[in-house]
Amino acid sequence: METLPRVEKREAMARSSFFLQKARPVILRYGIAAISVAVALGLALAAQRYEFREVALPLFLFAVALTAWYGGAGPAVLAVALSIAFFDYFFTEPLYTFYVNRSDIPYLIVFIAFASLVAWFSAVRRGVERDLFQARNRLQAEVKERTEQASLLNLTHDTIFVRDMDFIITYWNRGAQELYGWAPDEAVGKRSDELLKTIFAVPIDDVRAELLRVGRWEGEVKRTKADGTQVVVASRWSLRMDDRERPVAIMETSNDISERKQREEQIRALNLELARRSTELEATNKELEAFAYSVSHDLRAPLRHMAGYGELLQKKASSVLDDKSQRYMSMILESAKRMGTLIDDLLAFSRIGRVETQKRLVNLDHLVKEVLSELRQETNGRDIVWKIDALPTCHGDRSMLRLVFVNLLSNAVKFTRKQPQAKIEIGRKEGNEDEIVVFVRDNGAGFDMKYVDKLFGVFQRLHQTDAFEGTGIGLATVQRIIHRHGGKVRAEGVVDQGATFYFSVPKF
Amino acid sequence: MDALGRILMVEDDPKDVELTMTALEEYNLANEVVVARDGEEALDYLYSRGKFVTRPSDNPAVILLDLKLPKVDGLQVLQQIKSDEKLRIIPVVVLTSSHEEKDMVASYKLGVNAYVVKPVDFHEFVNAIRELGVFWAIINQAPPGSVRK
Repeated sequence: METLPRVEKREAMARSSFFLQKARPVILRYGIAAISVAVALGLALAAQRYEFREVALPLFLFAVALTAWYGGAGPAVLAVALSIAFFDYFFTEPLYTFYVNRSDIPYLIVFIAFASLVAWFSAVRRGVERDLFQARNRLQAEVKERTEQASLLNLTHDTIFVRDMDFIITYWNRGAQELYGWAPDEAVGKRSDELLKTIFAVPIDDVRAELLRVGRWEGEVKRTKADGTQVVVASRWSLRMDDRERPVAIMETSNDISERKQREEQIRALNLELARRSTELEATNKELEAFAYSVSHDLRAPLRHMAGYGELLQKKASSVLDDKSQRYMSMILESAKRMGTLIDDLLAFSRIGRVETQKRLVNLDHLVKEVLSELRQETNGRDIVWKIDALPTCHGDRSMLRLVFVNLLSNAVKFTRKQPQAKIEIGRKEGNEDEIVVFVRDNGAGFDMKYVDKLFGVFQRLHQTDAFEGTGIGLATVQRIIHRHGGKVRAEGVVDQGATFYFSVPKF
Repeated sequence: MDALGRILMVEDDPKDVELTMTALEEYNLANEVVVARDGEEALDYLYSRGKFVTRPSDNPAVILLDLKLPKVDGLQVLQQIKSDEKLRIIPVVVLTSSHEEKDMVASYKLGVNAYVVKPVDFHEFVNAIRELGVFWAIINQAPPGSVRK
């Protein structure tokens, strides 16, 4: 890094001198001719005064050479012309005239030839120097660029290394060190296939053939790191050619895909498992459907017959039956009726699991109002204090959510029956950002938290049938509906002090 | 209210037949009930063939149709009735044990006139049958060509 500023400075200097040469104005260039010839003249005159002989001509030649060097060809011609004029005027007989003696003509011709030669040499030399200068600058720029590229290669996270056609590693970047564990000085000079113990998924000859044919190869290979662990990499090879199109090196970039491979494996396994389960589930669902159908049709029929014939028997024999037998009769009928209700409830429950939910925006306020008016028959003549908060809209299946409120509210009404004044509260609780939590609280019979796990089970009841009627399927239905909506249910209760049921539904 | 239409009851379960008849008898609706014990018999009756070859040619005022039947099931019978130019005008009431929504939807799609699930409770059952009988055999103006007494 330290060399970089120096290189830059030198290059800047070279660039500015080149720039001066190029753009040196015409006046300045010809000025050089005039000035250098004038100076030569001055010096020659001074030398003459001090009795030095034959100095004038070399001085003018020197001025011509200087002008050719710094001013170029045109000014050099001017310098030659000026030199001849001054020489002729000041230093050849007759003095102080431009008259040229015949005997001086060869002398002048030799001078012109010599001056031209000097100018030409000077110009050629100048040109050569300029070319060299430019070549140097280009070279410097290229070196700088290459240096930067090389350091960039080293900066990438990708693994890059280069090897010659004999598999000898010639370049090894930091990414390669990080992935495989060898430092550049440990790797460079070794055979890549021996160092990395590369295992190809396809025959190596195919790889080589493709590489030579299209200049590239891509694929996955397995390698062994410095610490002995195996790694799977996605590898890309590019062939480098020399200027005669002969392959000289292979550059390889690669990424560690061991984790991705592993995850892909896992995902594939999970997908298989999922497919298996879903087939199973589908089969189970079909069975369930057949079962529900059979329950719906085949179990109800004999039940109806029992009830029917029992009823007929009761009517016909009521006059001859004693009180006890009458009671037995009505017990049989009551049981048949209860079984009918159980079957119907169970069917409704199983239907929730089978039908598609049709989700849309549901205004819970309206829903609660509807359900309350539906429950009027049960609430008539009861002293119930309702506290109903404003509820938001949510996303769900309206008829199913309605069933949730029907179950929770009729439960609340039912289990507060023994309170002189029932208090039932419907409210909203803060939940996550994307869900709505609604609760129904009552001051009724409540339950023991010990049995909270049983509360939402099918046919689970925490009260005696003669205290509170019911089939024990209402809360199971609530749970099933809420689960199908992706929400949760929970309950809190204290015996004889009331219960609170919470459920959450998604906002969107 | 003076004329009583004939009722074709398609029902395989003799107990159901008996209970339904009992319910209808209570309201004097049982006299004109013809019972077919499966789908094939129902179609035989409607087309006056087999053992019904000699029956009077007029149509029943209403058909009470169970869905789960031997041989030809209820939905097939319904489909046959509703696709026949002469028979499609006969009102058909599905009277079934099935609570299944898909049965109901299928029945309505085939053009059933009413769908009634037999209640388990006998009183409700009797009420349902009575109302059905009264409505379809007495109140409802049966289409032309059906039996009136």
